[in-house]
Order: sequence, then C-alpha cells, then structure tokens
Amino acid sequence: MSKKSFDISSLMQSKVTWAVIAELLILLVCFLIRPDFFSISYQPSTGMLYGSLIDIVNRSAEITIISMGMTLVIALGGTDLSVGALVAVAGAIALKFLRWDVLAYPTPGDYTVCSYILVLAVPLIVCALMGLFNGFLVAKGGIQPIIATLILMVCGRGVAQILTDGKQFTTGYSPFRFIGQGSFLYLPMPIIITIVVVIAVALFTRKTAFGAFVESVGVNPNASKLSGIKAAGVILIVFMITGLLSGIAGLIYSSRIMSNDSNNAGLNFEMDAILAVVIGGTNMSGGKFSLAGTVVGSLIIRTIVTFVYYFGIVAEATMAFKALIIAVVIVLQSEPVRKYFAKRAALRALRKGGMKA
Amino acid sequence: MKKQTLWTRITNPKYIMVYATIGIFLAIYAFGAFLYGDKGFLTVRTFVNLFIDNAYFGISAVGMTMVLITGGIDLSVGAVASLTGMFIAYGTTVLGLHPLTCIAAALVMGVGLGLLMGWVIHYLNVPAFITTLTGMFLARGVCSLISRESIDIKHPFIDALAGWKIYLMKYVDGNWVKIKPIAFINFNVILFLVMIIIGAFILQRTRFGRNIYAIGGNEQSAALMGLPVGRTKVLVYGFNGLCSVLAGISYALYVKSGWNLSLQGGELEVITCAVIGGTLLTGGVGYMAGTLFGVLLKSVIPALITFNGNLLSWWGKIATGLLLLLFICIQRFVVTTSDRKKGQ
Repeated sequence: MSKKSFDISSLMQSKVTWAVIAELLILLVCFLIRPDFFSISYQPSTGMLYGSLIDIVNRSAEITIISMGMTLVIALGGTDLSVGALVAVAGAIALKFLRWDVLAYPTPGDYTVCSYILVLAVPLIVCALMGLFNGFLVAKGGIQPIIATLILMVCGRGVAQILTDGKQFTTGYSPFRFIGQGSFLYLPMPIIITIVVVIAVALFTRKTAFGAFVESVGVNPNASKLSGIKAAGVILIVFMITGLLSGIAGLIYSSRIMSNDSNNAGLNFEMDAILAVVIGGTNMSGGKFSLAGTVVGSLIIRTIVTFVYYFGIVAEATMAFKALIIAVVIVLQSEPVRKYFAKRAALRALRKGGMKA
Repeated sequence: MKKQTLWTRITNPKYIMVYATIGIFLAIYAFGAFLYGDKGFLTVRTFVNLFIDNAYFGISAVGMTMVLITGGIDLSVGAVASLTGMFIAYGTTVLGLHPLTCIAAALVMGVGLGLLMGWVIHYLNVPAFITTLTGMFLARGVCSLISRESIDIKHPFIDALAGWKIYLMKYVDGNWVKIKPIAFINFNVILFLVMIIIGAFILQRTRFGRNIYAIGGNEQSAALMGLPVGRTKVLVYGFNGLCSVLAGISYALYVKSGWNLSLQGGELEVITCAVIGGTLLTGGVGYMAGTLFGVLLKSVIPALITFNGNLLSWWGKIATGLLLLLFICIQRFVVTTSDRKKGQ
C-alpha cells in the first residue's frame, strides 16, 4: 500500500508526467468543444489516413526530428540556435540542385537537373558539416554553445539566400514531393521519417553507452574526462547529429512547399525545439534527458497550434496561446512547485504511517 | 595599494575587449573610407546616420548588456519593442488617444513583463532562456491580437517628435552655417546616447551596478556575501523591459508605423551588438562603451554594403556572423591567456 502511494508521488515529481497530463488536458478540451476531433478517416485516392490527430503528428514532424538532436545538445548543458537556419540552408541546396536551370526554364516541371541522390545527400552532408563546425567551436574552442551556434544562426540564412541569389525556386519533381506529401503504410511520409529518426536516436543513445556518455559530460565534463570519456568526441558527434537532423527537417519542410523559402523556412524552429525539450522534462543545465518526453513536448506545441487553427482564432495569435499554456506547464514543472508536491506527498505518507502505528 | 593614475586606469587589461571593438570598428571604417571615400563615406552625415539608423538597437542593447552581465539572457526585447509600437499606432490612430497615454501604457506593460519574468527566473528557478522566450511569444501574440496589419501613426505630437532635429553647424567666416551634406541629430540619437550614459553610470558608479557584476561573476558567492541577488535580478529584467519600450518608441518614431511582425529576430541582433562589444554571455564582464561601439560596428557593415551597391544585402548577415566568430576567438584567446597568468 505504502509502496503504491510512493510511486504516485514520484510520478507527480517527474516532469514527463506533467507534460503528458498537459497534452491529455488540451486534447480533452479539443474533444469537448468538437466531438469529431478524434475521428480519423481513410482517403482511398491518396492512400492516407486523415484526421486532426494525424495532422498534429504530421505537422510536428520537423520539430520532433530536430528536437531529438536538441535533447542531446541540452543534455550536454548547451543549446543549438542554428537549427532553424540549417533548415533554410538544406532547402536552398536541395532546390538549387533540383532547379539549376531555373533561368532557362522558369516554369517548374516533373524533373530534376542533378541526380536525385545529390539532391538528398548534399544538403544532409552540408548540414552535418555545419553541425560539426558548431561542435568544433564548442569542443575544441571551448566556446559556450549558445554563442558558437549564434554564428551560424546569423550567417546561415545569408548563406541560403546567396546560394539561390535571393530568389525563390519552385519544383514539380514528384519523388521530391513524396518526402513531405507522400504516404507509406497509410501514414504521411513525415510521420514515417519521424518514427525512424526517433527509433534510431533512441537505439543509438540507449542501446550503446553513448547516452550515458552524453549525460556524464552534461553533468561534469571534467570528471567524465578523468574517467576516460572523450568529452570532445561526444560533443562533436552530438552537434553533428543535430545538424544532420536539421537537414532532414529542412528537406521535409521544402518538400511540403515544393520550394525554398530562405526567409521563413525554419523560422523560430530553434525556439520551438528547445521548448519541446524543456517541456519534455530535460533540464537545461544538462544531465539526464528523456527522448520520450521530448516527443510529447513537441506534440504539445503542435496541438496548441492545431487547437488554435481549429477554432478559427487568428493564426498569428497562436503565439499568445502557446505562451500561456507553456507558462502553465513550466510553472508546474518548476522546482519550488515540484518540491511542494513532494513535501505534501511525504507528509501524507507520514500521517498514514502514524495512524497505523 | 598602487596609486591609480589615469594611464594605469586606461591600460587596465580588463578593457582589452572594448579596445578590440573600437580597433576593429576603426579598421572597418578606414577600409570603407579607402574604398568609398570619394562617394561620401567619410562625411559627417554617413557617420551620424550610423546612429540614426540603429538608435533603437542601441537603446535596447543598454538593457541587454546588463542582463547579459548578470549571466542571464532576454529574448523578449524585439517583441516588446514591437508591441510598444503597436500600442502607439493602435492607440493614436484607431482609439484616438494621446501618444503619451499610449507610451505610459507601454511602459507599464514592458516594465511589468520584465519584472514578472525576472521574478519567475529567480524565484521559480526557470531558465532565463525559456522564461523570456515565453515572454516573447506572449508579446508577439498580443501584438497580433491587436492588429495583423501595419498601422500608420499620424499624430502631430509624434510628427513633431520625429521631425525634431538639431543640424550640425560649422563656423565659416564669422557665421554658423549648416555643414554640407546636411547632417543632423534627432531625438532617437539623443535618447540612445543618454541611455548609454545612464547605463554606464549605473554599472560603474552605483551599488546596484556592482551587485550586477557580482551576480554575474558568481551568483552563489554574491548571495553568501549578503548581496540582494533576487531583488537585483528582478530589477535588471525590469530595467531591460524599460529599455525595450524606449527602443520601441524610438523605432516607432523611425518608421512611423506599428506592425505585428516588426523587429522579428531583433533580440538576436541586440545580443550580437552586446557580444561584439565585448560582453561575455557567461556573465560578469561587459561595458557600456563596448556596447556603444558594438552597435556602431554592427551598423557600419550594412552601410558599406549600401555604398557598394552591387552586393546582396545578405552578405551583411554573413559578414556579421564572421565578425561574431572573430570576436569570440579573440575573447577566447584573452580569457585563456589571463587564466594562464592567474595559474602561474
């Protein structure tokens, strides 16, 4: 009996629990206002399932993918501000390769100029290298991550614009459309890609010692160095993964709009990704991380946005609602509040024990 | 104790980052003068325009420098400034209020939000990054709730304030004449310089300023010394809110309109100004003089690109990024060498 109550109190102290409760509450409100919120229908013409829930998961794909990397960066005690700019860079490079002939043939068709492998591989490689550059500044230069990544955040969009001469290209190449708008096993492709990425990152961090290395470096870099962990190597790999994942998100984003939009692609993604990680219960000062929590955090952010769209509230006002709900979640997760719950649970346990005695 | 002469004070190694900023600014300015001197880069007007076109960044950078010195960060400044502009535009044009009423409301909003964020950061122990990010979302969202379209500001008071200018004169043959090409200083420039001076005074000459440095150096030691850590941090964020509102007023005077998406990403430009001015994001180090030249350094690059005329304006972003990289490397070098000296 006492063991069970102990479990509940430790659950209440866990940040992930609060995130899940918040997500369920928002969904409940959606359901109460619109009972058809949970309905999912099948569209034979596209071979895809449709519905608000599917839409939430689909639209959260980019943030979820990026925040997988961001979770690791934050577990190291850092932040990566450059991810949004890398999304723009990936889109610009992909469209550059798809539409190298844009001057000669302004109308887009179902073709690509360069080989499709290059269209997909080069943006990913470039983004991974940019991530590696961030990691190099942090690991070898000893620069604070927030500053090191600020450089690419400031320059990245400039690079993307210059690659495409400040223009916006469009394409009609159908294999490229498949990434963001196609379907596989009745699900939209972005969801499939997200699932693959989440599983890959989870396996890499939890089935190898890498996750433990990350947590150890996040708690105390010097101590982990002394215990034989190559902190620099861990940092380099984590930033490279984040860069690569931003590249994947960039391809999905540009495939959704079949164009490059260096001004708006990935705008504020760094903020959303960091929020997703923090709502998911990973502490910004580094150490323990929770990938599952991050997925829930990303879903919360997208659910709020969908909620606001769904009920016809001005799209730009989404931010105000986001702020209010996030504020509630963050205050509930804050140390004093959690300590209060812990204290109350302990008191109750004591009282019960006293009564028995 | 060794007597502090003016010379030892000036050559104090702690100012080295400020001198680096000034040196690089002068180098870039000389570079511009060499390339575009014949096109008028060297005129007083070009120099004064650096202030006029970037006064709002500078005003906000004053508050941001203090926040960064405490070891915090404030991402809400762009949104709060934008909301201030929206208050003024919506209040005067749609509601028919006097601009001063709108400004008063904006001040209450900005300082209130700043104090609230400071309170959450210190007493609820939520990271500054997340708290102020939420503040940014909130201010932007409220901005969009008020209006999604750009509103022009048409009010005689605003027109008078925005149009007020002091022409720079020179003394020729017994008469004061306007210098050619005509250069002037406006309300924004004066507000910018006054805020820099106020900021420098607070940091260097008041107990509050010393507390800011102490908290940035080591918050726990500051608390153990009995310094009012919580109060200082809350007030710093409040002061930064004030600076954001003043920056918003200055921006509204500059563009004479309010728009819900104005100054997007402005917070990072402001942080960039402070960092290239020698402020360390780890806290404890930073000077207003550095921030002043940081703002000038950041604004001289777009000026150079305008003078060139052929380059895409995006090269400005890349140049700013490279500048940031250069500064971070210098800072890193300075910190490691001083650490090594301490070690010996």
